[in-house]
Amino acid sequence: MRKIFPAEELARDPRFIRQTNEQRLGDPRGARVAGGNSGDRLAKLTPELANGPDRARALMHGIFTGEIQALEGAGRTCWDFEVGEDVPLELKLDMARQCWDEARHCEISVALAEHMGTELGEFAENGLLYEAACNPDPVLRLTGVNRALEGLAIDVFNTMKEFGNLAGDPVLEFCEDWMLADEVTHVKMGSDWLRQLTANDKERLDKALEFQKVVDRLFSFNGFRGEDDDSPIQLTRRFRELAGFSDDEIDEIADMSREARVEAAG
Amino acid sequence: MTQVSVTPESFDMVFYDAAVIGEVVAEVAERLGLEETINLEIDEGSPLGRSKIISYDPIELWVDGGALENTKRPRQFGTGRARDTLGRLLLRILDRRSGRFDETPADDDLDLMQFVAWDVHCVGRLNRLGIGGQRQRRLYQFRNRHGFTDVADAAFEQLWDSSELSWTEIERISEACRAS
Amino acid sequence: MTETKRPREPFAPWDRRALPGLFDVEETAKRVGHYKWVELKLFEALGGWVATVPELDIKMRLGTHCYHHAWHAELFDKRLPELREMKTDRLTVPPNDHMVAFIDAMTEPEGPTLTIEKLVGVYRVLIPHKIAAYTYHRNATSEITDMPTVRILDFILQDEFNDWREGEMLIQSMIESEEEIDRAMVHQTRLEKLMLAAGGIAGPGSIGDPYVDLPEEN
Ligand SMILES: [Fe+2]
Ligand SMILES: [Fe+2]
Repeated sequence: MRKIFPAEELARDPRFIRQTNEQRLGDPRGARVAGGNSGDRLAKLTPELANGPDRARALMHGIFTGEIQALEGAGRTCWDFEVGEDVPLELKLDMARQCWDEARHCEISVALAEHMGTELGEFAENGLLYEAACNPDPVLRLTGVNRALEGLAIDVFNTMKEFGNLAGDPVLEFCEDWMLADEVTHVKMGSDWLRQLTANDKERLDKALEFQKVVDRLFSFNGFRGEDDDSPIQLTRRFRELAGFSDDEIDEIADMSREARVEAAG
Repeated sequence: MTQVSVTPESFDMVFYDAAVIGEVVAEVAERLGLEETINLEIDEGSPLGRSKIISYDPIELWVDGGALENTKRPRQFGTGRARDTLGRLLLRILDRRSGRFDETPADDDLDLMQFVAWDVHCVGRLNRLGIGGQRQRRLYQFRNRHGFTDVADAAFEQLWDSSELSWTEIERISEACRAS
Repeated sequence: MTETKRPREPFAPWDRRALPGLFDVEETAKRVGHYKWVELKLFEALGGWVATVPELDIKMRLGTHCYHHAWHAELFDKRLPELREMKTDRLTVPPNDHMVAFIDAMTEPEGPTLTIEKLVGVYRVLIPHKIAAYTYHRNATSEITDMPTVRILDFILQDEFNDWREGEMLIQSMIESEEEIDRAMVHQTRLEKLMLAAGGIAGPGSIGDPYVDLPEEN
C-alpha cells in the first residue's frame, strides 16, 4: 500500500458520486454549501424555513460523507508517517482514537439519514476534507483537518443540535450533542499537537496556521459560517475555546466570514 | 392530448433538455388523467427546490431548476425528482378542481402545517401510482411541522394512506396534532 | 488487641496461582517489545486501508479495530519501562526479518477489489497468531510476578477474540464464489509461509515448543 493515497481514488460503492472541485466551483449558480447554495443569500438554518427540513437533510448527508472522509484521513495519518522519524507514537494513538470516533460518527450519520429519510449517496459528495488530509506535513495536515475542518464541524453540529431542539426532534439533538463532544476533542488534539510539534519551529507554525487559513477560507463562501444572526451556520465561540482556540483566532474566523459576506453582497 | 411548453427552450447554467422535460411533464400529466396544455417555467439559475402553481386554468407552473435536478449529479436533470415535483403540483390542481377543496386558502396563504399535510396526502397518492415516494423524507418533514409524536405519526399514516380526502378532512387531521 | 477470627492462609484454597514462570524480566520485555511492534504495524495498516475499501461496513469496522490495536500498542508501550526498558523504542522491533517480510506482504494489497486479501491477512493469519502467542505468554508467565502483563494480555485477548470473530464474519460474507475462496486461500497460504519462517509474532518460540527430544537409540 502506498504512502499518501490520492483523493481521486477514495474507495466508494456505486451509490456514492463524487463531485470534483472543478465541477463544484464551476457551477455558475454558486457552489453548494450547508445544504443550500452560496449563490443565494442563505438564511440561518432553522426549522421555520419552508425548506428547513430538506436543507437539514442535505446538510446531514454532507456531514455523513465528511465523517467518512474524516475517518479515512485519520486512518491515513496512522499509515503515512513513521513513528519517531515523522511523528511521535502518541500522535498516531490520537489518530487511531479519532478513527474509532469517526467510524461511530459514520454509524450515527447513517442512523440519522434513515431518520430524516435520506438515502445513502442521495447527494453528491465533495472531497475537500480528505484533500486537506493529504498534506504531506503531518503538522499541516492536523492543522488543516483537525483545527480548520473539525472546527467547522463544531459550528455545524452546534447549529444542527439547535435545529433539532427547535424542531422538537429528540433524535437529531441527541446525536449532534454526542458528535459535538467528540469533535471538540478532535479539534483540541489538533491544537495540542500544533503547539507541541512547532514549539521550537516558528516557520512551521506559521506555515501550518497559513494552511489552516486557506482551508477556513474554502468554507467561507458568502460568509455562510459566521457570528451574525442570519449566518446559516453559527460560529461557536464556547466550544472553540474548549478546543484550544484563542479569542484572537476566533475573531479572525468571524472577520474572514464577514468579509466574505460583504464581498458576496457587493 | 397533453400539450407542454417549457421555458426557457434551452439552458445555459444546467445541462437540461427542454424536450426531455416536456416529455416527463406529459407523462406525469397523462398518468394523472390530465389532458390539456401545460406551461412550465424554469428558473435555471436557482438550485433551490421551490415550485408553485402560477395559474390553475390554464395550467402554468413555475419551478426552481433545482427542483428538477439529480441530487447525485449537480446540474444534471433528474427524472425521478422531476416526476415528484411535477406530480405534486398537478395533483394539487386536480384536488382544487375536484370540489373537495373549495374551502382551501390560496396557496400563498397556507401555513407550513397545512401545506405539509396536503403535500403528504399528494405524495402518498403519487407513490401508489408509481410516481415519487420517499415516504420517510415526507414523514420527517411532517414531523417537523406536526411534532415528533405518536399522534403526528398516526396522522401522517392517515394522510399518506387515504385515497381521496377533502380539505376539511386534511385540516382536521393536521389540527389534531396541533392540539396534542 | 482486636479480636479476629482464626488465621488464614495467604492464598485462599481456590487461588492456585503459582510463582514460577517461564520468562524472566529481560525475556518478558523482549517479547512485549515485539508485541508492541506488531500492534503498531497492524493499527497503521488498518488505518491506511480504510480509504481503500469501498465496502461501507468494512470501512467502519477497520476504523474501529484500528483503535483497538493502537490501544494494545499503548498498553505494551507503558509496560516496557516497568520491565526496566526506559528507551521503549529499543525493544519496539520485529523479532526477525521474516516478520518484516510478513508485514510487508500483509500490507501490500491496496486496490479497491482486494478487500478479501486485506481481511484474510489480518483476520485469518495475523490475529490467530497473535491470539496464540498472547495465550501462551499469558499461561506460561508467572501469575504472581508478572501479573501486570497477564492483566494486559487478558484485556487484549478479549479484543482479539471479538475482532477475529467480526473479521472472520466479514470474510465469510465477502466470499461469494469458488474463485474468491481460491483467492483467500492462496493469499492465506502465502502469508502463513512467511509467518512460519518468522516463527510466530515474537519469533521462534512464540507459542513454546511442545516436542520432546528422544534420546538416541543404541
Ligand atoms: Fe466526526
Ligand atoms: Fe472529528
